[in-house]
Amino acid sequence: MESNIEETTPSFDPSKNYDEDTLAQQREIEKEIAATQSMVSQLYTFDEIVEEYSQEDAIYRQKIEDLKSRFKNLRKTRGDGNCFYRAFGFAYLETLLSNGKEYKRFFDIAQKSKDELVSLGFPQFTLEDFHDTFMDVVKMVEKPGTTDALLEAFNDGGLSDYFVVYLRLLVSGHLQQNADLYVYFIDGERTVKEFCSQEVEPMGKESDHIHIVSLTKALQVPICVEYMDREGDKCNSFTFNPFEGSADAADATPVFTLLYRPGHYDILYPL
Amino acid sequence: MTSMEKRLQKELQAMTKDPPAGVSVNTNSLSSSLSEWIVDIEGAPSTLYEGERFQLGFKFTSRYPFDSPQVMFIGPNIPVHPHVYSNGHICLSILTEDWSPALSVQSVCLSIVSMLSSCKEKKLPPDNAIYVRTCSKDPKKTRWWYHDNSV
Repeated sequence: MESNIEETTPSFDPSKNYDEDTLAQQREIEKEIAATQSMVSQLYTFDEIVEEYSQEDAIYRQKIEDLKSRFKNLRKTRGDGNCFYRAFGFAYLETLLSNGKEYKRFFDIAQKSKDELVSLGFPQFTLEDFHDTFMDVVKMVEKPGTTDALLEAFNDGGLSDYFVVYLRLLVSGHLQQNADLYVYFIDGERTVKEFCSQEVEPMGKESDHIHIVSLTKALQVPICVEYMDREGDKCNSFTFNPFEGSADAADATPVFTLLYRPGHYDILYPL
Repeated sequence: MTSMEKRLQKELQAMTKDPPAGVSVNTNSLSSSLSEWIVDIEGAPSTLYEGERFQLGFKFTSRYPFDSPQVMFIGPNIPVHPHVYSNGHICLSILTEDWSPALSVQSVCLSIVSMLSSCKEKKLPPDNAIYVRTCSKDPKKTRWWYHDNSV
Protein backbone atom coordinates (compact mmCIF):
# COMPACT_ATOMS: atom_id res chain seq x y z
CA MET A 1 0.00 0.00 0.00
CA GLU A 2 2.66 2.45 1.02
CA SER A 3 4.52 2.24 -2.23
CA ASN A 4 1.25 2.84 -4.06
CA ILE A 5 0.66 6.09 -2.26
CA GLU A 6 4.14 7.24 -3.06
CA GLU A 7 3.59 6.57 -6.72
CA THR A 8 0.33 8.44 -7.00
CA THR A 9 0.98 11.39 -4.66
CA PRO A 10 3.34 14.02 -6.04
CA SER A 11 6.07 14.11 -3.44
CA PHE A 12 7.30 17.26 -1.81
CA ASP A 13 10.94 17.90 -2.58
CA PRO A 14 12.40 20.09 0.18
CA SER A 15 15.33 21.12 -2.01
CA LYS A 16 12.98 22.58 -4.62
CA ASN A 17 11.51 26.08 -4.44
CA TYR A 18 7.74 26.11 -5.08
CA ASP A 19 7.20 29.85 -4.65
CA GLU A 20 7.18 30.68 -8.34
CA ASP A 21 4.52 28.03 -9.10
CA THR A 22 2.34 29.10 -6.19
CA LEU A 23 2.49 32.77 -7.15
CA ALA A 24 1.86 31.96 -10.81
CA GLN A 25 -1.27 30.11 -9.73
CA GLN A 26 -2.41 33.12 -7.68
CA ARG A 27 -1.89 35.42 -10.70
CA GLU A 28 -3.98 33.00 -12.82
CA ILE A 29 -6.83 33.21 -10.30
CA GLU A 30 -6.64 37.02 -10.31
CA LYS A 31 -6.69 37.09 -14.12
CA GLU A 32 -9.70 34.79 -14.19
CA ILE A 33 -11.55 37.09 -11.77
CA ALA A 34 -10.66 40.18 -13.80
CA ALA A 35 -11.83 38.49 -17.01
CA THR A 36 -15.16 37.30 -15.66
CA GLN A 37 -16.32 40.01 -13.21
CA SER A 38 -16.86 43.70 -13.97
CA MET A 39 -15.47 46.07 -11.38
CA VAL A 40 -19.05 47.33 -10.96
CA SER A 41 -21.81 45.37 -12.71
CA GLN A 42 -25.19 46.07 -14.28
CA LEU A 43 -28.27 45.72 -12.10
CA TYR A 44 -29.38 42.20 -11.21
CA THR A 45 -32.79 41.09 -9.97
CA PHE A 46 -33.07 38.75 -7.01
CA ASP A 47 -34.60 36.10 -9.25
CA GLU A 48 -31.23 36.07 -11.03
CA ILE A 49 -29.24 36.12 -7.78
CA VAL A 50 -31.17 33.22 -6.24
CA GLU A 51 -29.95 31.00 -9.09
CA GLU A 52 -26.41 31.29 -7.69
CA TYR A 53 -27.50 29.08 -4.82
CA SER A 54 -28.38 25.42 -5.14
CA GLN A 55 -31.89 24.18 -4.32
CA GLU A 56 -30.48 22.50 -1.22
CA ASP A 57 -29.13 25.76 0.11
CA ALA A 58 -32.37 26.61 1.92
CA ILE A 59 -30.93 29.17 4.31
CA TYR A 60 -29.40 31.39 1.65
CA ARG A 61 -32.38 31.02 -0.68
CA GLN A 62 -34.65 32.11 2.14
CA LYS A 63 -32.46 35.11 2.85
CA ILE A 64 -32.53 36.11 -0.81
CA GLU A 65 -36.36 36.03 -0.52
CA ASP A 66 -36.03 38.32 2.51
CA LEU A 67 -33.93 40.75 0.48
CA LYS A 68 -36.39 40.53 -2.40
CA SER A 69 -39.19 41.69 -0.10
CA ARG A 70 -37.28 44.89 0.69
CA PHE A 71 -34.95 45.56 -2.24
CA LYS A 72 -35.45 45.81 -5.96
CA ASN A 73 -31.99 45.20 -7.40
CA LEU A 74 -28.42 44.32 -6.66
CA ARG A 75 -25.26 45.56 -8.32
CA LYS A 76 -22.19 43.35 -7.99
CA THR A 77 -18.61 44.44 -7.52
CA ARG A 78 -15.44 42.55 -8.46
CA GLY A 79 -14.09 40.20 -5.79
CA ASP A 80 -10.58 41.58 -5.80
CA GLY A 81 -10.26 42.73 -2.20
CA ASN A 82 -11.29 46.28 -3.15
CA CYS A 83 -15.03 45.58 -3.25
CA PHE A 84 -16.00 47.63 -0.20
CA TYR A 85 -14.30 50.77 -1.54
CA ARG A 86 -15.67 50.32 -5.05
CA ALA A 87 -19.18 49.61 -3.77
CA PHE A 88 -19.05 52.60 -1.43
CA GLY A 89 -17.65 54.90 -4.13
CA PHE A 90 -20.13 53.96 -6.81
CA ALA A 91 -23.21 53.81 -4.57
CA TYR A 92 -22.43 57.13 -2.93
CA LEU A 93 -21.63 59.07 -6.12
CA GLU A 94 -24.79 57.64 -7.67
CA THR A 95 -26.87 59.23 -4.90
CA LEU A 96 -25.13 62.57 -5.46
CA LEU A 97 -26.43 62.65 -9.04
CA SER A 98 -29.79 63.67 -7.62
CA ASN A 99 -28.66 65.56 -4.53
CA GLY A 100 -26.89 68.83 -5.34
CA LYS A 101 -26.79 70.00 -1.74
CA GLU A 102 -25.03 66.89 -0.52
CA TYR A 103 -22.71 67.11 -3.53
CA LYS A 104 -21.50 70.55 -2.41
CA ARG A 105 -20.87 69.35 1.15
CA PHE A 106 -18.96 66.31 -0.10
CA PHE A 107 -17.01 68.29 -2.71
CA ASP A 108 -15.65 70.58 0.00
CA ILE A 109 -14.59 67.68 2.24
CA ALA A 110 -12.97 65.91 -0.69
CA GLN A 111 -11.20 69.06 -1.87
CA LYS A 112 -9.76 69.81 1.57
CA SER A 113 -8.79 66.23 2.32
CA LYS A 114 -5.59 66.39 0.28
CA ASP A 115 -3.93 68.97 2.50
CA GLU A 116 -4.96 67.04 5.59
CA LEU A 117 -3.33 63.89 4.23
CA VAL A 118 -0.18 65.81 3.29
CA SER A 119 -0.02 67.18 6.83
CA LEU A 120 -0.14 63.58 8.10
CA GLY A 121 3.03 62.84 6.18
CA PHE A 122 1.75 61.31 2.93
CA PRO A 123 4.11 62.36 0.13
CA GLN A 124 2.53 65.19 -1.81
CA PHE A 125 3.53 64.13 -5.30
CA THR A 126 2.11 60.63 -5.09
CA LEU A 127 -0.99 61.91 -3.34
CA GLU A 128 -1.65 64.56 -5.96
CA ASP A 129 -2.13 62.06 -8.80
CA PHE A 130 -4.68 60.10 -6.84
CA HIS A 131 -6.47 63.20 -5.57
CA ASP A 132 -6.66 64.74 -9.05
CA THR A 133 -8.21 61.60 -10.54
CA PHE A 134 -10.50 61.21 -7.52
CA MET A 135 -11.81 64.76 -8.00
CA ASP A 136 -12.26 64.18 -11.76
CA VAL A 137 -14.54 61.25 -10.96
CA VAL A 138 -16.37 63.21 -8.24
CA LYS A 139 -17.04 66.06 -10.69
CA MET A 140 -18.83 63.64 -12.97
CA VAL A 141 -21.84 63.78 -10.62
CA GLU A 142 -21.92 67.56 -10.18
CA LYS A 143 -24.87 67.85 -12.58
CA PRO A 144 -27.90 65.58 -12.55
CA GLY A 145 -27.45 62.80 -15.07
CA THR A 146 -27.62 59.08 -15.68
CA THR A 147 -25.49 56.40 -14.13
CA ASP A 148 -24.12 55.26 -17.51
CA ALA A 149 -21.05 57.50 -17.49
CA LEU A 150 -20.37 56.72 -13.85
CA LEU A 151 -20.63 53.00 -14.50
CA GLU A 152 -18.18 53.34 -17.36
CA ALA A 153 -15.74 55.29 -15.16
CA PHE A 154 -15.92 52.69 -12.41
CA ASN A 155 -15.05 50.00 -14.92
CA ASP A 156 -12.05 51.90 -16.25
CA GLY A 157 -9.02 50.76 -14.23
CA GLY A 158 -7.26 54.08 -14.77
CA LEU A 159 -10.08 55.85 -12.94
CA SER A 160 -11.63 53.17 -10.75
CA ASP A 161 -8.39 51.94 -9.17
CA TYR A 162 -7.17 55.50 -8.58
CA PHE A 163 -10.48 56.24 -6.89
CA VAL A 164 -10.07 53.16 -4.67
CA VAL A 165 -6.53 54.17 -3.71
CA TYR A 166 -7.74 57.58 -2.61
CA LEU A 167 -10.54 56.13 -0.50
CA ARG A 168 -7.96 53.86 1.13
CA LEU A 169 -5.80 56.89 1.92
CA LEU A 170 -8.82 58.67 3.44
CA VAL A 171 -9.42 55.66 5.71
CA SER A 172 -5.75 55.56 6.66
CA GLY A 173 -5.74 59.31 7.33
CA HIS A 174 -8.81 59.12 9.56
CA LEU A 175 -7.44 56.17 11.54
CA GLN A 176 -4.11 57.91 12.07
CA GLN A 177 -5.73 61.20 13.06
CA ASN A 178 -7.73 59.33 15.69
CA ALA A 179 -5.09 56.76 16.57
CA ASP A 180 -5.70 57.05 20.33
CA LEU A 181 -9.29 55.86 19.76
CA TYR A 182 -8.69 53.11 17.22
CA VAL A 183 -5.57 51.57 18.74
CA TYR A 184 -7.80 49.38 20.97
CA PHE A 185 -9.59 47.87 17.96
CA ILE A 186 -6.49 46.65 16.17
CA ASP A 187 -5.40 43.06 16.56
CA GLY A 188 -1.81 41.98 16.88
CA GLU A 189 0.93 44.03 18.43
CA ARG A 190 0.64 46.77 15.88
CA THR A 191 0.49 50.54 15.96
CA VAL A 192 -2.31 52.25 14.03
CA LYS A 193 0.26 53.40 11.49
CA GLU A 194 1.52 49.85 10.97
CA PHE A 195 -2.07 48.60 10.63
CA CYS A 196 -2.72 51.26 7.97
CA SER A 197 0.35 50.40 5.94
CA GLN A 198 -0.41 46.67 6.12
CA GLU A 199 -4.22 46.45 6.01
CA VAL A 200 -5.53 49.71 4.54
CA GLU A 201 -3.16 51.30 2.03
CA PRO A 202 -2.15 48.28 -0.08
CA MET A 203 -4.61 47.48 -2.91
CA GLY A 204 -6.55 44.26 -2.53
CA LYS A 205 -6.52 44.19 1.27
CA GLU A 206 -10.05 43.43 2.43
CA SER A 207 -12.14 45.69 4.61
CA ASP A 208 -13.40 44.99 8.07
CA HIS A 209 -15.73 46.80 10.44
CA ILE A 210 -12.99 49.28 11.38
CA HIS A 211 -12.45 50.32 7.75
CA ILE A 212 -16.16 51.01 7.28
CA VAL A 213 -16.46 52.97 10.53
CA SER A 214 -13.47 55.00 9.48
CA LEU A 215 -14.62 55.83 5.93
CA THR A 216 -18.16 56.75 7.01
CA LYS A 217 -16.71 59.03 9.68
CA ALA A 218 -14.07 60.57 7.42
CA LEU A 219 -16.74 61.52 4.87
CA GLN A 220 -19.65 61.91 7.32
CA VAL A 221 -21.82 59.56 5.31
CA PRO A 222 -24.17 57.19 7.17
CA ILE A 223 -24.64 53.84 5.44
CA CYS A 224 -26.46 50.59 6.09
CA VAL A 225 -25.03 47.09 5.61
CA GLU A 226 -27.23 44.00 5.31
CA TYR A 227 -25.35 40.98 6.62
CA MET A 228 -26.19 37.67 5.01
CA ASP A 229 -24.73 34.63 6.75
CA ARG A 230 -25.94 31.22 7.88
CA GLU A 231 -27.40 32.45 11.19
CA GLY A 232 -31.15 33.13 11.60
CA ASP A 233 -33.70 33.37 8.77
CA LYS A 234 -33.40 37.06 7.85
CA CYS A 235 -30.47 39.29 7.00
CA ASN A 236 -29.22 41.46 9.86
CA SER A 237 -28.93 45.10 9.03
CA PHE A 238 -26.49 47.42 10.71
CA THR A 239 -26.30 51.19 10.33
CA PHE A 240 -22.92 52.86 10.44
CA ASN A 241 -23.76 56.22 11.92
CA PRO A 242 -20.87 58.67 11.81
CA PHE A 243 -22.83 61.17 13.93
CA GLU A 244 -23.31 58.77 16.83
CA GLY A 245 -22.87 60.56 20.11
CA SER A 246 -23.36 64.01 18.57
CA ALA A 247 -26.41 66.28 18.37
CA ASP A 248 -27.01 65.24 14.73
CA ALA A 249 -27.24 61.57 15.64
CA ALA A 250 -30.97 61.39 15.00
CA ASP A 251 -30.92 62.37 11.32
CA ALA A 252 -28.49 59.68 10.30
CA THR A 253 -30.64 58.14 7.59
CA PRO A 254 -28.41 55.77 5.64
CA VAL A 255 -27.59 57.19 2.22
CA PHE A 256 -27.31 53.76 0.62
CA THR A 257 -27.22 50.07 1.55
CA LEU A 258 -24.57 47.45 0.89
CA LEU A 259 -25.00 43.69 1.04
CA TYR A 260 -22.33 41.72 2.86
CA ARG A 261 -21.91 38.07 2.03
CA PRO A 262 -18.90 36.47 3.76
CA GLY A 263 -15.82 38.18 2.32
CA HIS A 264 -17.67 40.40 -0.15
CA TYR A 265 -19.70 43.62 -0.53
CA ASP A 266 -22.28 44.43 -3.23
CA ILE A 267 -24.75 47.30 -3.63
CA LEU A 268 -28.48 47.03 -2.82
CA TYR A 269 -31.27 49.16 -4.31
CA PRO A 270 -34.47 49.55 -2.25
CA LEU A 271 -37.96 48.92 -3.65
CA MET B 1 3.18 59.20 -22.27
CA THR B 2 1.74 56.27 -20.33
CA SER B 3 0.55 56.79 -16.76
CA MET B 4 3.53 54.74 -15.55
CA GLU B 5 5.96 57.05 -17.38
CA LYS B 6 4.17 60.16 -16.16
CA ARG B 7 4.33 58.97 -12.59
CA LEU B 8 8.02 57.97 -12.82
CA GLN B 9 8.88 61.26 -14.51
CA LYS B 10 7.40 63.06 -11.47
CA GLU B 11 9.26 60.83 -9.06
CA LEU B 12 12.53 61.36 -10.88
CA GLN B 13 12.09 65.11 -10.74
CA ALA B 14 11.42 65.04 -6.99
CA MET B 15 14.36 62.70 -6.36
CA THR B 16 16.88 64.80 -8.32
CA LYS B 17 15.64 68.15 -7.05
CA ASP B 18 15.39 67.21 -3.41
CA PRO B 19 17.17 63.89 -2.78
CA PRO B 20 16.92 62.36 0.70
CA ALA B 21 20.20 62.05 2.62
CA GLY B 22 22.44 59.27 1.33
CA VAL B 23 20.26 58.48 -1.70
CA SER B 24 20.91 59.53 -5.31
CA VAL B 25 19.52 58.36 -8.62
CA ASN B 26 22.20 57.29 -11.06
CA THR B 27 20.84 59.27 -14.01
CA ASN B 28 23.13 57.52 -16.53
CA SER B 29 21.37 54.27 -15.76
CA LEU B 30 17.87 55.36 -16.76
CA SER B 31 16.30 53.65 -19.74
CA SER B 32 14.27 55.90 -22.04
CA SER B 33 10.92 54.53 -20.87
CA LEU B 34 12.15 54.92 -17.26
CA SER B 35 11.36 51.25 -16.64
CA GLU B 36 14.79 50.61 -15.09
CA TRP B 37 16.69 52.74 -12.58
CA ILE B 38 19.84 52.39 -10.53
CA VAL B 39 19.90 54.23 -7.23
CA ASP B 40 23.13 54.76 -5.27
CA ILE B 41 22.78 54.63 -1.52
CA GLU B 42 25.25 55.22 1.29
CA GLY B 43 25.33 53.61 4.71
CA ALA B 44 24.22 56.23 7.25
CA PRO B 45 26.76 57.79 9.64
CA SER B 46 27.23 56.02 13.00
CA THR B 47 25.76 52.74 11.73
CA LEU B 48 27.45 49.44 10.86
CA TYR B 49 27.39 50.46 7.20
CA GLU B 50 28.89 53.94 7.58
CA GLY B 51 31.01 54.87 4.58
CA GLU B 52 29.83 51.88 2.47
CA ARG B 53 28.23 52.45 -0.90
CA PHE B 54 25.57 50.21 -2.41
CA GLN B 55 23.50 50.10 -5.56
CA LEU B 56 19.81 49.30 -5.81
CA GLY B 57 18.34 48.14 -9.10
CA PHE B 58 14.69 49.12 -9.70
CA LYS B 59 12.48 47.62 -12.42
CA PHE B 60 8.97 48.85 -13.11
CA THR B 61 6.18 47.20 -15.09
CA SER B 62 3.63 49.14 -17.12
CA ARG B 63 1.21 48.60 -14.20
CA TYR B 64 3.35 50.68 -11.84
CA PRO B 65 2.36 52.16 -9.35
CA PHE B 66 -0.28 49.42 -8.95
CA ASP B 67 2.38 46.73 -9.37
CA SER B 68 5.22 47.09 -6.91
CA PRO B 69 8.66 47.74 -8.37
CA GLN B 70 11.19 44.91 -8.41
CA VAL B 71 13.99 46.09 -6.13
CA MET B 72 17.30 44.39 -5.31
CA PHE B 73 20.89 45.15 -4.44
CA ILE B 74 23.14 44.90 -7.48
CA GLY B 75 26.81 45.49 -8.27
CA PRO B 76 29.97 44.47 -6.44
CA ASN B 77 28.94 45.43 -2.90
CA ILE B 78 25.91 43.63 -1.43
CA PRO B 79 25.36 44.55 2.23
CA VAL B 80 25.74 41.71 4.73
CA HIS B 81 22.44 41.98 6.60
CA PRO B 82 19.95 39.46 8.08
CA HIS B 83 17.29 40.52 5.51
CA VAL B 84 19.54 40.76 2.46
CA TYR B 85 20.49 37.57 0.60
CA SER B 86 23.93 37.35 -0.94
CA ASN B 87 22.36 37.49 -4.43
CA GLY B 88 20.93 40.93 -3.63
CA HIS B 89 17.32 39.91 -2.87
CA ILE B 90 15.75 41.87 -0.02
CA CYS B 91 13.14 40.59 2.43
CA LEU B 92 11.05 43.71 3.03
CA SER B 93 7.25 43.61 3.17
CA ILE B 94 6.60 46.88 1.31
CA LEU B 95 8.26 45.35 -1.77
CA THR B 96 5.49 42.76 -2.12
CA GLU B 97 2.57 42.26 0.24
CA ASP B 98 2.44 45.68 1.82
CA TRP B 99 3.18 47.66 -1.33
CA SER B 100 0.78 50.57 -1.84
CA PRO B 101 0.49 52.78 -4.93
CA ALA B 102 0.99 55.76 -2.60
CA LEU B 103 4.55 54.60 -1.88
CA SER B 104 7.39 55.65 -4.18
CA VAL B 105 11.01 55.04 -5.17
CA GLN B 106 11.92 57.53 -2.50
CA SER B 107 9.98 55.83 0.28
CA VAL B 108 11.40 52.44 -0.73
CA CYS B 109 14.96 53.82 -0.61
CA LEU B 110 14.36 55.39 2.77
CA SER B 111 12.95 52.13 4.16
CA ILE B 112 16.00 50.24 2.92
CA VAL B 113 18.45 52.79 4.38
CA SER B 114 16.58 52.60 7.68
CA MET B 115 16.59 48.78 7.56
CA LEU B 116 20.37 48.89 7.23
CA SER B 117 20.70 51.53 9.94
CA SER B 118 18.85 49.54 12.57
CA CYS B 119 21.05 46.44 12.07
CA LYS B 120 23.05 45.40 15.13
CA GLU B 121 25.14 42.59 13.69
CA LYS B 122 26.30 42.05 10.12
CA LYS B 123 25.25 38.54 9.23
CA LEU B 124 23.58 36.74 6.34
CA PRO B 125 19.99 35.47 6.57
CA PRO B 126 20.00 32.02 8.22
CA ASP B 127 18.59 30.35 5.08
CA ASN B 128 20.90 32.18 2.67
CA ALA B 129 22.57 29.09 1.17
CA ILE B 130 19.40 27.20 0.22
CA TYR B 131 17.52 30.34 -0.83
CA VAL B 132 20.22 31.56 -3.19
CA ARG B 133 20.49 28.10 -4.73
CA THR B 134 16.77 27.60 -5.35
CA CYS B 135 15.15 31.02 -5.74
CA SER B 136 13.82 32.65 -8.91
CA LYS B 137 15.88 35.44 -10.49
CA ASP B 138 13.00 37.78 -9.73
CA PRO B 139 12.65 38.47 -5.97
CA LYS B 140 8.98 39.31 -6.53
CA LYS B 141 8.47 35.61 -7.30
CA THR B 142 9.44 34.64 -3.78
CA ARG B 143 6.73 34.20 -1.17
CA TRP B 144 8.41 36.03 1.63
CA TRP B 145 7.69 35.30 5.26
CA TYR B 146 8.04 38.52 7.18
CA HIS B 147 8.83 37.32 10.64
CA ASP B 148 11.15 39.79 12.22
CA ASN B 149 10.43 43.49 12.23
CA SER B 150 13.12 44.43 14.70
CA VAL B 151 16.01 44.58 12.23
